Amino acid sequence: MGSPAERRIALLFIAPALLLVAVFRIFPLLWGFVLSFFDSDGMTKLEFVGFGNYVALASDNAFRDSVENTLILIATLPIWVALPMLLAILIHQGVPGGGFFRAVYFFPAVLSSVIIGSIFNMVLRYDGSLNAMLKAVGLVPVDWLGSGSTALYVLFSVQLWSTFGMSLLIFLAGLSTVPTELVEAARLDGAKPMQIWWHVIIPVLRPIIEFVGVVTTIGALTSMFGLIYVLTAGGPGTSTTLPEFLIWLEQGKMNRPGYAAAISMLLFSLMAGLAYVQIRIMSKNANL
Amino acid sequence: MAISGTREKWLMRGLSVPMLLLALTCLYPVFFAINNALKTDKDYILNRFSIVTDPTLQNFVNAWTRSRLSEYFLNSVVVTVGAVALLLAVSSLAGFAFAMLRFPYRKLLFIVILASLMIPVQVVLVPFYRTIVTLGLVNTRIGLIISYTAFFLPFCVYLMTAFYSGLPRELVEAARMDGAKLIQIWWHVMLPLGKPALITLGILNTLYCWNDVLISLLVLQKERTLMVGIAALKGEYTTNIPLLMAGIVIAAAPIVIIYIIFQRRIVNGIATGAVKG
Repeated sequence: MGSPAERRIALLFIAPALLLVAVFRIFPLLWGFVLSFFDSDGMTKLEFVGFGNYVALASDNAFRDSVENTLILIATLPIWVALPMLLAILIHQGVPGGGFFRAVYFFPAVLSSVIIGSIFNMVLRYDGSLNAMLKAVGLVPVDWLGSGSTALYVLFSVQLWSTFGMSLLIFLAGLSTVPTELVEAARLDGAKPMQIWWHVIIPVLRPIIEFVGVVTTIGALTSMFGLIYVLTAGGPGTSTTLPEFLIWLEQGKMNRPGYAAAISMLLFSLMAGLAYVQIRIMSKNANL
Repeated sequence: MAISGTREKWLMRGLSVPMLLLALTCLYPVFFAINNALKTDKDYILNRFSIVTDPTLQNFVNAWTRSRLSEYFLNSVVVTVGAVALLLAVSSLAGFAFAMLRFPYRKLLFIVILASLMIPVQVVLVPFYRTIVTLGLVNTRIGLIISYTAFFLPFCVYLMTAFYSGLPRELVEAARMDGAKLIQIWWHVMLPLGKPALITLGILNTLYCWNDVLISLLVLQKERTLMVGIAALKGEYTTNIPLLMAGIVIAAAPIVIIYIIFQRRIVNGIATGAVKG
């Protein structure tokens, strides 16, 4: 342990970081936990309702839809991981134009979701340019954002399109650790490219695949607010409402802080579970 | 890992065609925004997907003045610069202490800061907002600066700690008995030595702060940052699309410029964050 002066100064140095995290993240989390057991009728009075908010959620259609949408999202996750992995392997194997692809694919990831959402809203709305194009070549226009059957998949596709470059970079960083001798040895043994991918490259990439899977899930659950906000506003109806957007609606439009807090706590338990997996993967990787 | 057979070479060439199409879709929105920002509203309604024939800069002028984007732009600049400066100062101080100094509960406190990564703003929306209101920080730029710092801080502390851990501890040995000297070492030695990590963090957090909409919506409800302004412009009942596109070009321009200049650093920063931490 350091000298008293060292200890004092060290605590002084970490105090700002610790204070910010404690006041704006940890304390609000605890407050939200307590709040989720209360309900308010009006502006001030808070009433203890036990698990009342959680019970009420079970019969709330908007909440049920948001959970259903989340499950659909999770079901599509293999695509979110496999697509950037495939592209990364191709770039790593020297597809013509690889450097160009790498730079361009990542480009949407630096743009704000508000910008991406606004542009795609203009392109995809019923009187937008995509339908104008479809009509021009004699096809039937589709109400991409206005119909419940397409809007959710459009939302996911736009999010996938705007983030796959990020996962691709992570895969490329992982691929640079694949030992060349291993691949050469397999090639000398007469392995075909597909066999090399399947038996040599993908096993080495496994920790990266797990990592991208978890990070993508966390991202999909907590970074789509901006896109939903400008692209679909959660609609039509609740067909593109995800929990994070529902929390926003609940806290803003209706004065039910306890109810919004209850949804938050459920989202947090899901997040904490995922983050636990992420931390375990990371520590496993560190031991390698 | 070069490609050997001619058949594989042709396979690769074939695969590069769909990859090129995908790359074009990544550039298309920029083309769409610029192309339509140069049209008049009437022009856009008549020709939604044609290339502009009679370009006008009037939309940029209107967006900048009448739609008050100049104010929002200034807000975004002030808030982003303030938050990034605060993030770098706070995280390099903490990183220095965690990596180089010895004090009780060092590991525990480090884990507490890292674990707060698990608490995204959505999870604490209601109580976070009330905290901001209670502290009198709502509707102030300093409130937004502090909020950004609180939410983007853990990764910065992690990266600075990792970076400083790689430096020799002899740098502080001589000064360890003297608190005043340690502050000087942070200022004169640690900040200059930490430059590579600080630059990477500075660029990444500039992107995050500039692009944010949720925290900004919550904290700055009267004034607006640029992204909230764009979202509002888009939400207007009779959206003037060329005007909106001009706003988008203005809002994205700084980020595109940063991306073009610092592409390598951004890419490396993201890869480091992912693979090593």
